[in-house]
Amino acid sequence: MLLPSFDYYRPQSLPEALSLLGEMGEDARPLAGGTDLLVNLKLKKLAPKVLLDLGGLEELKGNRADDGLVSLGALDTASRLASGGPEVPGLLAMGAGALGSPQVRNRATLGGNLVTARPAADICLPLLALGAKAVLAGPNGEREVALDGYFKGPGYTVKEAGEILTRVILDAPRPGVGGGYQKLGLRQAMEIALVNVAAHLELEDDGKTVALARVALGAVAPFPMLSPGAASALIGKPAQETCFSEAAEAAAAEARPIDDHRGSAAYRRDMVRTLTLRALRQALSQAQGNQEAQA
Amino acid sequence: MSGNFEVIGSRAPRKDAPNKSTGKARYIEDIKFPGELAGALLQSPQAHAKIKRIDISRAQALPGVVAVITAQDVPDVKYGVSPARYDETLFAVDRVRYVGDEIAAVAAEDLATAQRAVEFIEVEYEPLPVLLTVEQATAEGAPWLHEQFPDNVCAQVEQEFGDVEAAFAGCDLIQEGSFFSKRQDGAFIEPNQCVALMDSDGVLNLHSSTQVPHYVQRTLAMVTGLNMSKVRVVKPYVGGGFGPKASATPIDLAAGFLAMKTGRPVRMAYTREQVFLFSRARHGFTHHMKIGVKKDGTLMALDHRATLDGGAYSSFGIATVYYAGSLLGGPYKLPNMRYHGLRVFTNKPACGAQRGHGGVIARALFEQQMDVIAERLGMDPIELRLKNMMETGDVTCNDLAMSSLGMRECIEAVKNGSGWDQKKGKLPKGKGIGMACGFFVSGAGYPIYRSETYHCTIMIKADEDGGGIVVYTASAEIGQGSETTMAMIAAEAVGIPYEQVRVKSGDTDFGIDLGAYSSRTTLMTGHATKEAGENLKAMILETLAQELEIDQSRLDIKNGLIKISGDPVDFSAIRIGYIKEHRGWQDQPSGDELTFREAARLAYLRRGTLVSTGKYKPPVLGGKYKGAAVGTSPAYGCSAQVAEVSVDFETGQIKVERITDAHDCGQAVNLTSVEAQMQGSVSMGLGEALFEEVKFDGQGRILNPSLGEYHIPTVMDMPETKCIVVESGEPNGPFGAKEVGEGAIMPTIPAILNAVRNATGLVLDETPLTPERVYLAIKKQKGA
Ligand SMILES: Cc1cc2nc3c(=O)[nH]c(=O)nc-3n(C[C@H](O)[C@H](O)[C@H](O)COP(=O)(O)OP(=O)(O)OC[C@H]3O[C@@H](n4cnc5c(N)ncnc54)[C@H](O)[C@@H]3O)c2cc1C
Repeated sequence: MLLPSFDYYRPQSLPEALSLLGEMGEDARPLAGGTDLLVNLKLKKLAPKVLLDLGGLEELKGNRADDGLVSLGALDTASRLASGGPEVPGLLAMGAGALGSPQVRNRATLGGNLVTARPAADICLPLLALGAKAVLAGPNGEREVALDGYFKGPGYTVKEAGEILTRVILDAPRPGVGGGYQKLGLRQAMEIALVNVAAHLELEDDGKTVALARVALGAVAPFPMLSPGAASALIGKPAQETCFSEAAEAAAAEARPIDDHRGSAAYRRDMVRTLTLRALRQALSQAQGNQEAQA
Repeated sequence: MSGNFEVIGSRAPRKDAPNKSTGKARYIEDIKFPGELAGALLQSPQAHAKIKRIDISRAQALPGVVAVITAQDVPDVKYGVSPARYDETLFAVDRVRYVGDEIAAVAAEDLATAQRAVEFIEVEYEPLPVLLTVEQATAEGAPWLHEQFPDNVCAQVEQEFGDVEAAFAGCDLIQEGSFFSKRQDGAFIEPNQCVALMDSDGVLNLHSSTQVPHYVQRTLAMVTGLNMSKVRVVKPYVGGGFGPKASATPIDLAAGFLAMKTGRPVRMAYTREQVFLFSRARHGFTHHMKIGVKKDGTLMALDHRATLDGGAYSSFGIATVYYAGSLLGGPYKLPNMRYHGLRVFTNKPACGAQRGHGGVIARALFEQQMDVIAERLGMDPIELRLKNMMETGDVTCNDLAMSSLGMRECIEAVKNGSGWDQKKGKLPKGKGIGMACGFFVSGAGYPIYRSETYHCTIMIKADEDGGGIVVYTASAEIGQGSETTMAMIAAEAVGIPYEQVRVKSGDTDFGIDLGAYSSRTTLMTGHATKEAGENLKAMILETLAQELEIDQSRLDIKNGLIKISGDPVDFSAIRIGYIKEHRGWQDQPSGDELTFREAARLAYLRRGTLVSTGKYKPPVLGGKYKGAAVGTSPAYGCSAQVAEVSVDFETGQIKVERITDAHDCGQAVNLTSVEAQMQGSVSMGLGEALFEEVKFDGQGRILNPSLGEYHIPTVMDMPETKCIVVESGEPNGPFGAKEVGEGAIMPTIPAILNAVRNATGLVLDETPLTPERVYLAIKKQKGA
């Protein structure tokens, strides 16, 4: 398959990149790892005149921890996220580790995953459950957008054509907080999820009561979605099977799956229930585990 | 086995390993000719339509376009696989029959221009009713895809061996079941590609990624009207075939015509999507079986109906529909068998041959039913199988002669190897264990066209310096290791070390070889290689005997040394002659035995270049009935597998945890290669059992024409696989060898099905066993 022809720019700073993007408007596309973009070019789904390689932008690289928050660079690859580290929440590492295969993970970036915004995206789901905010840089400076509200449709977000996603900001990992990630597909790797679920739990100091919870669902709506019903079934309750089941029911009820050749809506709804329950159990054991380790 | 061999049975490193592991191996993509043009195909976007008009003028006018050809520019010659069913033309004449049917081809200075030119060809279609299922194609009043095939019946088979009804009447138990499988893709790693060019001798050279240089040569000659000697097909390294590369492709033919027309080399390549469109892979099968047994488990009769959704053309389908029936004749003693097979045309890409040709799903259902029968009779499934197992020397009711059959040994091996007795019935909830058997031909007994031709010929030339030999073979190394196998067989036959053998293969200039299909190469090309090796050895020893003035029967060659029996013989004159000829050389022969090098050099000095030949065609095989040509083979490989699975009842996901696999290959030529075929078969069978399905929308377009959405197993999905090689010593095979390439896949699907049944109690009747299918079945079972 042939790539269509395009011009290639590699700006060396964010301002340079933004001004190029401003000049060329819709004709230009940022290029990160290329694992979505180049495929779409070959399939002739997109035909930008210009590719703007983000690889030279230091502003999009590196992770920082500061004041209970961490900031992750848009160019962080799935491999790097999957191998964890002090700034990377376990839930995000799990999601990133479930993406594609080692080769794809070596190129796929966090920013690309958030901008492509596939309904089953393996980095979007954990970030959504973690309550992350995306930092979008545009001609008029930066804005922070909570991911709850960022996704608009498959491949469609609040990010404007002239904006570049530079980083995401989220709470730093801490004791009493845990995540669970469940991905169901046909095979063990190189798989778009039939359904995936990311669950985030924060426990009170008693190690039992749920202080905060978020459950994100993949492949059951036009974009990664949060289940508010699942969250309210959990918050303030003792973290145990009873409310986990209620949360799983709520998630299944709120999911909006469709029938397609990969699976039926009914099956997907049932799987939301099962995977939510499993993700919550996993999140609890992680939360309790690191609370104990702290104690 | 592995008795008195020097080379056979070892783990000699593969001849292609250094090149392949360092990236030096040249595939078609790596072979460039000066002045190449790029070709592109126009393929139909409609599944079924009349062509009202084709206008190529805009395409022709595009700068950079060198030639545009349609049906008008090529001879009106029908081709296909089986001559009795030639039903394809290179380009659609007045009708397209599937999404992907070829309409025109373009050659241009570069690929982008060629592809753009294809878009510039205007075609006016008049849509016809699209028939996507067997039911639609056989419905009253459905249009016929081909005038010569009424009611869209491509082939119908009616066979009865013994008296099935009478046998049923005497049975104590009758078991019935059905099975539905989905169309597959071969999913080889290298998409088809070719380059065609005319040389200065007026020979059309086609370099192509194919399993069958000879059949491609014949088809190209027939369609272009050139003599066979004016067409040469060369096959470089090939990235897998598995069956779909066992016939000429439209790009082979189109590139040939374009090269003839333009006088320049023309390269054409399929994208992955076009590989799916060309297809020629495993059919979707529907089977119904009724099996009758006695109380004690004795198998009495099988009544079997199969329907194959064939796609738009015959391709290999006539063989497929016969194999689907004939391969149930064994490995159990089955005195009465009736088969009704039907292959139907539909408006989808044509299906053809794929590993385990025709037999895989029939085997899956039969072995699943065997397990159900065992349970109904209160027998262990292994006991039931052993009770009915054929033995060496047995002949099936449809005349397949089991000249060697290590089935019993295979069963014992997997039983012990898997710990069957400790596990069966004792596993925790969600875990299951199952087993199955199978067998396959070691090469089709007849060529695909009716002929008395040899199936393979071999030429061996000794190096004039006596240092080694070169084996010339037209056989097809497609990654299975046949060059290595032939090198080992030649080394053994001549009596020299493996390292002294080079193999040149895959070129029709080297002779005749029907190619890599029906698991024929080791047995058939192996025979010819062995014969040529023995002939070469005899030539050398004849000269040596004359020189030494002794009887030739006292001489032999082993491991590169001349063995002389009886009283010591003075060979110093030969050695001195050799040493004098090589004054200044560092590696003069020494020791008290004459070397192959000295003897082969002497033979050259006395008689000129030494060339020996070998040939093989199977002896006359059994079966006088219609269709006997499909299934009869000089030998049969057989195997047994035990699968261990875990089933997630809440998601329906199946994990195959372990496969214990035993295969009787007669005699392993190269143990590592045999195990590799077994591993590969497990992977392919597992994919078919769990994941693989080509899906279509309502207009006949493929929904998942990529390896992202057509799921073959990754390394993460592979179970722990224990391979046990059984060697029964095949009298009709070279050094006792027979097949492993396809027989090894036979038990995989049913072993998994039986293990899943053991875990869940479910008799699942549809592959692939996707989580959703399994989940729904579990839900239904709970509800019931
Ligand atoms: C074989 C294969 C398997 C895959 N498997 C998975 C999987 O399992 N799970 C999964 O979630 N995804 C999967 N993907 C999809 C893809 O790998 C991910 O979405 C990846 O995160 C995309 O990142 P990238 O850096 O490659 O993006 P690119 O392809 O470079 O870019 C994607 C899009 O985002 C835009 N973009 C990228 N970065 C920025 C930025 N910083 N600011 C603004 N716009 C930006 C680009 O313009 C483009 O439109 C797979 C892809 C392939 C090819």
